[in-house]
Amino acid sequence: MNPEPILKAEGVVRSYGERRVLKGVDLSLRPGEIYALLGHNGAGKTTLVRAICGRLRPDAGSVLLNGADPARVPAARAGLGLVPQEIALYANLSVRENIETFATLAGVPRAQIPAAVRRAMELTRTLDRSSAPVRTLSGGFQRRANIAAAIVHEPTLLILDEPTVGVDIDAREAVDAVIRDLRGLGVAVLIVTHDLDQAGALADRVGFLRDGAMVLEGDPRTLVAEAFGDQMEILVHLAEGLDMAGEIHLAAEGLEPTRRPGVWTRLDSGGYGAAGRLDARLRQLGLAPREIRVRQPSLANLFSLVAERKAA
Amino acid sequence: MSLAMMRVMALELWRDRAALVMTFLLPPLVFLIFSSVFAGTSGDNLQPKLAVADLARTDASRRVAAALLKSPDLRAETAPDAATVRARVKSGQVDAGLVIRADPAAPGKPFLIVADPSRAVAAPLAQARTQQALAAAAPDAALRRSIDSVAPALGELTPVQSARIDAAAEQLREKPQPVKDDLFDRQEIAGARKGGAVIAYYAGAVMILFALFSAMQGALSLMEERRAGVADRLLAGVAGMGPVVTGKFLFLTAQAIVQAVMIFVVAQGVYGVEALQHFGLWLPTTLAAGVCSAGLALGLVSLCRTRDQAQMLSTFVILVLAAVGGSMAPRFLMPAWLQNLGWFTPHAWVIDAYQAVLWRDAGIAAVYKAWLVLAAIGAAGLIVAQVLSRDPQR
Repeated sequence: MNPEPILKAEGVVRSYGERRVLKGVDLSLRPGEIYALLGHNGAGKTTLVRAICGRLRPDAGSVLLNGADPARVPAARAGLGLVPQEIALYANLSVRENIETFATLAGVPRAQIPAAVRRAMELTRTLDRSSAPVRTLSGGFQRRANIAAAIVHEPTLLILDEPTVGVDIDAREAVDAVIRDLRGLGVAVLIVTHDLDQAGALADRVGFLRDGAMVLEGDPRTLVAEAFGDQMEILVHLAEGLDMAGEIHLAAEGLEPTRRPGVWTRLDSGGYGAAGRLDARLRQLGLAPREIRVRQPSLANLFSLVAERKAA
Repeated sequence: MSLAMMRVMALELWRDRAALVMTFLLPPLVFLIFSSVFAGTSGDNLQPKLAVADLARTDASRRVAAALLKSPDLRAETAPDAATVRARVKSGQVDAGLVIRADPAAPGKPFLIVADPSRAVAAPLAQARTQQALAAAAPDAALRRSIDSVAPALGELTPVQSARIDAAAEQLREKPQPVKDDLFDRQEIAGARKGGAVIAYYAGAVMILFALFSAMQGALSLMEERRAGVADRLLAGVAGMGPVVTGKFLFLTAQAIVQAVMIFVVAQGVYGVEALQHFGLWLPTTLAAGVCSAGLALGLVSLCRTRDQAQMLSTFVILVLAAVGGSMAPRFLMPAWLQNLGWFTPHAWVIDAYQAVLWRDAGIAAVYKAWLVLAAIGAAGLIVAQVLSRDPQR
């Protein structure tokens, strides 16, 4: 039997003046579940998180955190930990001093603070440099210390806002490992991110927020499979600096540019055979690819699809 | 929780050595500079720099010029002619000039003072020093000028009287008598205390100036916490920002008290300002000043949306309040309307309270109003900061 949700938001509506930012959003999280909230800038993610944190009251609908309204019952927020996108720590203080401070401010009883701080540092693998001032630490280490300060009071729900923005792959994997460990401890984790690879790798469920409405929600693998069926993604790596005629040819072959320069993509149910035919066609057009790859569609493709639906 | 925030503020300051020096060593240093500059303005020890050109080149004029050059009350130097004197005054090489145009005993105006309007106080001082030199070094000339001035009222002198005057003048020239200053008596209102009123004034003036300056810098950490997401983290928790603001308020108040201790230790050690002897009233005055600066700074910074805004506002407020309130120039030199306007600044209240306690030996009756005003300003600022820090939209 599924445990009771830690977070239950139902029909949340919120407007700023005439502009309706949230249009009846539902969202629930259970213990030990990782949920990735996705969406473009301005989709309503920050407003939804603020409502969950009790910093604003919905115009309609409800938010229950551990069974109580976080905007009206401060005690409901005792089980909430927030990891802001920025390094929300005091730069001249050590990791330990920072975590001690946030433990006190989170209401951890004084006698329990040393043990709570040690546990938070162990979980985030920050113990070995606990005495170093935060400003002297690497970006990845600061990210983990940022998480440590949010879990020192053992929250049941942890919200992470872009937890790996601006860090390298090793640091990102270290942060991901921490998040997985927290899931293992039964903490419900809500990640607000633009990092679709991270969301795909970590999340048990993802939700796409678009124009204040939850347009798609579910297990990422299931969502991708349902959206793309037997289609595969063909990635074509070309030399950079194509002229306009070249771009017109590529578009005629159904290819679209990706964010990476010189990399074009197409979804195709023809698999490897289709990739071979595309390679021959491009060579014929004088656009010989450096490399062609075929892979399963990802959340990034789904994200583009959701965005296209909006455009349509 | 507030103590945790006080600890954070203290550690942040302790580990930022430049800020630490600025906070605790700069105030006494600036106080020493201000007090050195202004200590002389109320006493007899102003030493204006004077260029002297003796065009008359008579015996009496030489004696006057020599007396001026020797005078410990002046820094006099000779100039060859009137044009040089004017040039030196104009270029700022000297504060004023003196041209001896004729023999000091001759009728008319033998002395010409060359003044720079931007150094207005130097001209009357140079004039007074010249009169002193005339009386001391050329009393015979002074006597002749006195006789000339009273002669029209007395009628023509007889030959015998003229001979006696000539003899007296000759005797004075050869054996000048010490100058008697028997026209004026002088009474110091506060007895023979060593510490000066101006020193007590500037100790208070510098204290509130730096207390507010440092409090503004400390309060800017509220903006930093907002920018860095610390405020988001705390607002999502049980306690919110309330204990953070209270902790900052307590720290900034304590910081102002330590700054005041540093300044008044120097004031007492160097100038004999009796802060320790008036500790009972000095402490609440300092506490009120600290509360005022901490609350005002937190309130003002909380009103701002960005760090740039807060930085701009704090600079504006610090400078304007300091100028109007008397931290930069003594209030008694200001026009009446500006002196009245000064009562809308904490600086005027702080300065007045310290002067009342340390210089005028006043009791609580003279300072309780200042304490109330300062505490009220601080409380109002703290309330604004507390209310705005809870605003979820900020």
